[in-house]
Amino acid sequence: MIGALAPLFGVFLVMRRMVFLGVALPHISATGIALALSLHVWLGYYDGAHGSNERILAIIGSIVFAGGALLVLALLERRGSAAAEGRIGAAYVIATATSILLLAKCPQAERGWLSLFKGEIIAVSDQDLVLGAVSFAVLTTVLLVFRKELLLVSYDRALATVLRKNVVLWDVVLYALIGLSISISVFIAGPLITFGFMLIPPLIAQVFARSMRQLGIIASIVGGAGAFAGFCAAYHWDLPIGPSNVAVLGAAYVLSLAGSAIVRFVATRTRRTRAKATERIDSPSSEAP
Amino acid sequence: MTHSSRHNPGLSDAPLIEFENLAIGYDESPLLANLNLSVPRGSFTGLLGSNGSGKTTLIKTMLGILPPLSGTVRFNGANGTTLAIGYVPQRETLDSVYLFSAFEVALMGVYGRVRPGRFPSRADREAVRECLASVGAEPFADQRFSELSGGQMQRVLIARALVAEPELLALDEPTAAVDADAARAIGKLLSKLRKERNLTILMVNHELHWMRQLATNLIWLRNGRAEQGPTDELLSPEHIEQMLQLELG
Repeated sequence: MIGALAPLFGVFLVMRRMVFLGVALPHISATGIALALSLHVWLGYYDGAHGSNERILAIIGSIVFAGGALLVLALLERRGSAAAEGRIGAAYVIATATSILLLAKCPQAERGWLSLFKGEIIAVSDQDLVLGAVSFAVLTTVLLVFRKELLLVSYDRALATVLRKNVVLWDVVLYALIGLSISISVFIAGPLITFGFMLIPPLIAQVFARSMRQLGIIASIVGGAGAFAGFCAAYHWDLPIGPSNVAVLGAAYVLSLAGSAIVRFVATRTRRTRAKATERIDSPSSEAP
Repeated sequence: MTHSSRHNPGLSDAPLIEFENLAIGYDESPLLANLNLSVPRGSFTGLLGSNGSGKTTLIKTMLGILPPLSGTVRFNGANGTTLAIGYVPQRETLDSVYLFSAFEVALMGVYGRVRPGRFPSRADREAVRECLASVGAEPFADQRFSELSGGQMQRVLIARALVAEPELLALDEPTAAVDADAARAIGKLLSKLRKERNLTILMVNHELHWMRQLATNLIWLRNGRAEQGPTDELLSPEHIEQMLQLELG
């Protein structure tokens, strides 16, 4: 589900040239989960138990952190500040370090968070699966229904303003969709799988797609197929699922770039050879009487 | 800051757009202030000035893309209705990473009349095809927009602006980085469209020869000042000499 649907949101991150934000956000979202899981330690309860209340706190933490960070970082991105990239990088590193520090005093939560960080999705509960399925169904529907407005404000803000569209509102809608999809995906599958599926499939699709529609469809198919292939590889070689999925997508990306380069090289050679052959036919032979 | 406003007997006295004590700029620092200018209805008004003189800032402020620092922009649409505007931006502002066809880019022009969550109707699509045909862009309508030549892109963007059925067509440097033949063709196309559709055109440009050929009126931004008048008057050798003398000393 995440494999097939997350790339649809990732397409907007790639198109708006906010790829780095797509890497940082899942980690910031995971910090929200780490805070929620270790909250009982900070509040003075050391029973170490983690029940359903903490699952709710974790999803809230994930959404609040991803939403807050998206708001601040997107504002910096929009201002086009050269320092924005550095700030996003700093946020990524600080978020990861903070997560580990937050959980240092709660080994049980640390184990849970680390398995989430590594993308161990075998232990996902039925409840979380239903939550993920319903959330992604709603978010994807909103994304598809309003794709006209979301693409317009992403591509040509000036035209959107002249056509009297509420540019700020549609930006907020897009950022909310991206923020929520990241939060829920991180809550279920962890940051590694989230940013892997959100960014690599659209980058692969960019190599082959000829239209925006094709870009979304190819990204979704690549994501779904990558998830299945990653799962099979992890099962066959007894590897953790998250890194296996990302490794499969990474290999597919490298192969697609190499394939595209070879096709371009062959096409250029063929054109040159044909051009030379035409020149030879057109020009009079030196041996002619 | 000074400005002047002269009467052009060939055009209606009721201006389509009026700038009143307008100050424009970024981050509260004014680039131009106390602008009292107008764009006559049915005119081909050229917005002339060197790089950094504030031409694009002025047109963006007029269109509501940038907020004015102070003052107002007043539109006097036909029958008191809201003014329909077609906008042709500098094509470099459109990111080539988006895989839109020329038709899809032109189709964005109808989004102003299509409600959120709805999609353009068959009639809207036909209207877009007609506008593309009217500017000679039909043959490359299905090609990727980012792979078109500069002149072809401008035709598509003009078609997109026309789809909105505008009273005012605002163009930002439509002949910039376009070869001479394509620029001449765009100039002819704009003159033809103005006559056929009774359009008011406001065009940003920094090339005097294009303004001399196309514009009936000029707004000339120089050294933080704005001057307005008929093209023949502002681009007369005497006036240009007078401006150069003022500049030199």
